Amino acid sequence: MAKVTVDGRAIEVPDGANALEACRAAGVDVPHFCYHPKLSVVGQCRMCMVEVEGMPKVQASCTVPIRDGMVIRASSERALAARNATMEFLLINHPLDCPICDQAGECKLQDNAFDAGLPVSRTSEHRRLVPGYERTEIGPHVVADMTRCIQCTRCIRFCQEITGTGELTFVERAGHTFVWTHEGKPLDNDLSACAADVCPVGALTVKEFRFRKRVWWLDKTRSVCDGCEVGCNLSIEFKDRIVYRFTPRVQPAVNDYWLCDYGRFLSERLNEPGTTRPIVTGPGGEKRETNWGEALDAVKAAVDRAISDDPSRVIVVGSARLSTEENWLLARLFRDSLKVKNVEFAVDEGPPRRMKRGNDWVYGTEAAPNSRGAEAAGVRRSVSGDGSRLDLLLSKKNSPPAVLYVADASLSDRVSDPAFVALLRAASVLIVHARVKNALSEAADVVLPAANQSGKEGTFVNRDGRVQRFDMAIVPPPVVRTDLEILLHLGKLWGAFDTAWTASDVFGRMKGSVSGYADLDWNSDDLVGNPPSASITSAYDVLGLERRPEDEVFTRPSVTAPDVKP
Amino acid sequence: MAGLDPIPPVLLARAGKPDSVKLAGYVADGGYVSWKKVLTGSVSGEWTPAKVTEIVKASGLRGRGGAGFPCGLKWTFVPPKERRGGKPVYLLCNADESEPGTFKDRVLIEQDPHQVLEGMMLSSFALDVKHAYVYIRGEMWKGAGILNEAVAEAEAAGLLGKNILGSGMDLDITVHRGGGAYICGEETALIESLEGKRGHPRIKPPFPAVWGAWGCPTVVNNVETLSCVKHIVDRGAEWFKGIGRNDRNTGPKLYCVSGHVEKPGVYEAPIGIPWEQLLAMAGGVKAGRKLKAVIPGGASAPMLTAAEVAGVPMDFDGLAAAKSMFGSAAIIVMDETTDMPKAVTNISKFFAHESCGQCTPCREGTPWLNKALKRIVNGGGKRTDLDLLLSIANQMGNGMTICVFADAAIAPVLSGVSKFRDEFEAYIAESPAADAVLPAPGGITAKVADRMAAGMHD
Repeated sequence: MAKVTVDGRAIEVPDGANALEACRAAGVDVPHFCYHPKLSVVGQCRMCMVEVEGMPKVQASCTVPIRDGMVIRASSERALAARNATMEFLLINHPLDCPICDQAGECKLQDNAFDAGLPVSRTSEHRRLVPGYERTEIGPHVVADMTRCIQCTRCIRFCQEITGTGELTFVERAGHTFVWTHEGKPLDNDLSACAADVCPVGALTVKEFRFRKRVWWLDKTRSVCDGCEVGCNLSIEFKDRIVYRFTPRVQPAVNDYWLCDYGRFLSERLNEPGTTRPIVTGPGGEKRETNWGEALDAVKAAVDRAISDDPSRVIVVGSARLSTEENWLLARLFRDSLKVKNVEFAVDEGPPRRMKRGNDWVYGTEAAPNSRGAEAAGVRRSVSGDGSRLDLLLSKKNSPPAVLYVADASLSDRVSDPAFVALLRAASVLIVHARVKNALSEAADVVLPAANQSGKEGTFVNRDGRVQRFDMAIVPPPVVRTDLEILLHLGKLWGAFDTAWTASDVFGRMKGSVSGYADLDWNSDDLVGNPPSASITSAYDVLGLERRPEDEVFTRPSVTAPDVKP
Repeated sequence: MAGLDPIPPVLLARAGKPDSVKLAGYVADGGYVSWKKVLTGSVSGEWTPAKVTEIVKASGLRGRGGAGFPCGLKWTFVPPKERRGGKPVYLLCNADESEPGTFKDRVLIEQDPHQVLEGMMLSSFALDVKHAYVYIRGEMWKGAGILNEAVAEAEAAGLLGKNILGSGMDLDITVHRGGGAYICGEETALIESLEGKRGHPRIKPPFPAVWGAWGCPTVVNNVETLSCVKHIVDRGAEWFKGIGRNDRNTGPKLYCVSGHVEKPGVYEAPIGIPWEQLLAMAGGVKAGRKLKAVIPGGASAPMLTAAEVAGVPMDFDGLAAAKSMFGSAAIIVMDETTDMPKAVTNISKFFAHESCGQCTPCREGTPWLNKALKRIVNGGGKRTDLDLLLSIANQMGNGMTICVFADAAIAPVLSGVSKFRDEFEAYIAESPAADAVLPAPGGITAKVADRMAAGMHD
């Protein structure tokens, strides 16, 4: 640790930190563009200028390694003058059309211009144009508009250092410099949309989100990606019951600052129309919508009848896409209360997804977020592959199950395979929780409309055994219930559960019996993760410092306008 | 002042001779004697790398590329072998001569390439270099060809390669052609370019002596500096020190005189000769006209008026005292017919074109200066423009950027506008926009300002 003084405030920072990180750790927000905690330091935007005692010239703070006893003046007149100068230079060529730029609201240039810039413009020259390089798709997910580029090279360094694919490069020189892909090669890699995330301005934007919603209208909720077993922390960003996008949440233990393209664009799945009312099938085979009371009674009647005949002919299927709490309730109700032996789940071996954590790739081969949680909750994992135990159970030709209870109709990508649906349909009574309409829900006898990931809360256990909480973004539509509520209501019919329980109540009850959950606290930082906005936490994560409440508020040195000659 | 007495040409001694580029001619004129002497001496222990370094240090040789950093001192910054961790040392000969007004290195390379090579060989011996590079400017294709032939001849003669002359020393020299970017003359940009990347100057520290080409200790020296090394080892430090104005400015120097003189060209003279003497060598101001201004060290040096340059010794310290820069000794002479605003605009165009585009103040500032200057000379100037120019220039330099390109780019603007302000004002006086004012702060209208004052700006 090194002792450093920033604007008179003494602070200890780890060796190897730079002056910019020290300033931020001391609560002084030095504006910057090219610095990014996970990318190499290039010191070329010249925005983070500070004075360092003993150095005659102003310094770009990101390029100054900390020494013990260093005294930094981040708010001195010279430092402010230098930053004002850089701001002025950046703005003479950047289009001043924030109202029609989709980055507005989350634009570092805009923020810094408001906070650190001057309310004057001294230029009357024409602004730079980059004909032919405006609003162009440079990859499947990224749109580039080079009139807005401020040449910070974050995207270039991201593609070189994080994805290792190096699609982007500087083209031209001097005032004509701009960023583009190498000849004809699209910006197409596993994390390509993150290049738009790291772009501080509107030069790179995400194609799918562009111009769909002004960012300041968006509400943000902490969630966890359910695309694979890596469990990347993300933020569901939504407005008026519509999910507009996922953005990564900083989590050094899982996904750093990144989110893979596959996981990011699963957001659209949350907008798919689901089943709106419970459906039951009458004696004549006709399906009709009904209310919860009748639907749950039908379930109870079918299960009771089957159990009294032969409990082994009841099969309950959990899901690695359900939270640990939901799987736990499922196991408690059917395995412990009703003594059903077969409470199983199977998980897809999806195409491997990968995520960059630190310098290493982390692979997720299971196409579901919570197989470990489901297993820990007491739902038995079917051996995967062609000879899945679940498949074998179902395919007992002589005695197809009397009741097949599928707690998640989206349990596998195989539900779009007619053969798989036919296998499940062989049961005399097929009951499903359905978050979307699919082939399986169409085939079921009883359909219980369940909320999707945006409408519920719970915990997932990722590939590393890390328990992570996701929160509810959108209250499910009327009538639709979360899987947790469905199971609680169902359990109440048998006197097993109390319907007043919430996810955190269930979490508290299962803690003792589920491995990996014993010492956890529903509200702990580990479970909750970082807030959606990365900017505040980054310095602490990078430096490994303990966050203190008083540090959360950065002080911005006030800027006075210079004399403007008429 | 004996040091300033005229001397027979040293660096240019062989320039213009027939076949001056051939090995045979070079050897006939006493070439490679030092190289053989040092190599054979190294076996007997008579010559050691430290001895060569000491001689160069004692000679007072200062880098001829522009900064004038003592050459021997620069060499001592390379970590000793035991602290290099097995890394090789590289010597890079900076032949990316692109400073406007400079053409001395081209003459050395095209007229006497073996002199440059021998300088590199001796320096490589001093620095324990096994592979040296000549980074030659892309446009100097002729020089590159000549150098390549010279290297091939030296290799064939056993003066380069493995175990040279039985001494156990290995040395290869590679000629690398640049792409023709001015900034690649900056040593760290040169290294980046040599590595195959964009020529972007690096953040210093670490300096190249510690972390240079491919992360290895690297010394970058100018063509003329390395050529001087050959003659210093030939004739000794005392001889070299005996030439020049004083102990801090020693040796023969090539002056590139261009512009309004009768005989523009490269002149060799003891470093530190007075301005008048140099002008006389070049035949005086063209057509007997009056001198107006001089750029004494290439386009990036602040210009001096005729009064300021009078009697100034043309060396590093003499020009620093005159608040300008010796630079690459590219002397651009401008007579009374010169339109200074147009000259400054022309120079600013060069810098706006050559900025590498890395740092914001330089990338955005150089074109801004150029646009404003162009507007002034095209008749669209405003009275506020001159102060604006000075203000822009002042916020570009002095640590605002990674390398000193921005400081170079603003020097002609600052000196030109402040020293010849009346000429700029004459242009502006004729402009219809002369009295135009800047837009109001932030485009905030009075109505909005009122609302803000009333707290209604939410």
